[in-house]
Amino acid sequence: MKYIVFILLTWLSLNQVGQDLYACKNAKISLFSSAPLEDIQASTNTGTSVYNAATGDLAFSVNIRSFKFPKSLMQEHFNENYMDSDKYPRATFKGKVNEKADVSKNGTYPVTATGDLTVHGVTQTRTIPGTITVNNGTLSMTSEFMVKCVDHKIDIPTLVFKHIAETIKMNVSATYTPAK
Amino acid sequence: MKKLILFASAALVSTALRAQTTPATGKTSADSLLSSMEGTEKAEPVIATFKSTRLILGATTETVKKKNLNFLVIHRFGDIGGSQGGGKTLFGLDNSSDIYIGFEYGLTDNLDIDFGRSKFNQQVDLGLKYAILHQTSDNSMPFAVTLLGKAGVKAYNDNAAFPTFEDRLAYVAQAIIARKFSSKFSLQVTPTFVRNNSPFPFLNGNENNFFAMGVAGRLKVTKRMGIVVDYAHPFSKFRDNATGDNRFYDPLGVGIEIETGGHVFTVIFSNAKAITESSYLSATQSDWGKGQFRLGFTISRMFSFNGKKKEASNKY
Repeated sequence: MKYIVFILLTWLSLNQVGQDLYACKNAKISLFSSAPLEDIQASTNTGTSVYNAATGDLAFSVNIRSFKFPKSLMQEHFNENYMDSDKYPRATFKGKVNEKADVSKNGTYPVTATGDLTVHGVTQTRTIPGTITVNNGTLSMTSEFMVKCVDHKIDIPTLVFKHIAETIKMNVSATYTPAK
Repeated sequence: MKKLILFASAALVSTALRAQTTPATGKTSADSLLSSMEGTEKAEPVIATFKSTRLILGATTETVKKKNLNFLVIHRFGDIGGSQGGGKTLFGLDNSSDIYIGFEYGLTDNLDIDFGRSKFNQQVDLGLKYAILHQTSDNSMPFAVTLLGKAGVKAYNDNAAFPTFEDRLAYVAQAIIARKFSSKFSLQVTPTFVRNNSPFPFLNGNENNFFAMGVAGRLKVTKRMGIVVDYAHPFSKFRDNATGDNRFYDPLGVGIEIETGGHVFTVIFSNAKAITESSYLSATQSDWGKGQFRLGFTISRMFSFNGKKKEASNKY
């Protein structure tokens, strides 16, 4: 009999995992880079993310084409010349949050996430710092990190080298709702 | 034994139940959830079918985006070979068949207003270009369609040839249909209607109105360089039947296009002397076979007025 109780308990606890799944469809992702001639900035609020609070699994995905620039020509060059968004339409991060954040308790948890960052078809293993904020059942996550163009084989032609920085600052912010 | 059976059945039931309610591991469920969310995104319009609003001879489906100004300098030298070419004119470099200086300003992302002046016929052109349909990434719209309307006036030509103002006018209407087949290859066809109030060249039997069809394409060789070809055929009995010195030839241009971020340079060879649509479709009387083709170039420079005012420059 105690086996059954044990199994039922295991099953219930495992079942609980599913209810710890959080999803976000409108993650705001922005990039900024200060270059000698001109600052480059763009943002999108159509990033998607899934976070499993029980296992710590975290995934982000963003459509490169959805980044909006103030200058249309810059947006075209970003897609056509640098990111090859025809070929590599998405940038993704798939990994695990290293620290446990207690989703049942309000608070701000500084965390790090380790996983694969794929940009321009090149995958890099990164540990990215961020913050998880729990406020009455809503979960939000913010992060700021740098991406080096050279790490992801984003070529900057020498002709325009001075106009584009070699490092891009990324800002990510996502507010999650429990996934059904 | 009883205990074992109970245990086994309970284990079976529990896994079966669990499979129904949630997938076995968080990772896969997170992945499938993520991909299901990606699936709901809208298809994006295809961008950069062509790098510039001009290819060689004619216009492309690209319009100048809102609050952007495109400045164009287009030049055609003289005949490389033939009676006008050769060493004595440094293969045409001493001569200029046509020089065009133009401005295109984006009123909205899909509508721009064009203004330009040619040396050929001393014609001043004013036009509107409207991108009516955009190709989409999911092929729900397989091609882009842009409409172009232009009116030209031969402003400074002599009054004997043009007794009234109306005689100086010429019009062009085009539907430009383009498809970006891959990131490297784009093709467009351009059905065109030309109206000349005093048809050029001034010969008996020349038509006031005729149709023409253009075909143009670009093949990208590197990210910033491509091979471009532009060809047009006027459907004109007068032009087909003309003989002797007044023979007409279909305008054809081949060249390379180089993009440097803000600038687009096109270096070409073409038999067409004129740059404006109404002129090159009406009056191309030079033959590639006789060496009557010329070097030409187009410089297209895009200025943006969208950025913050404090920004020092539009270059990048």
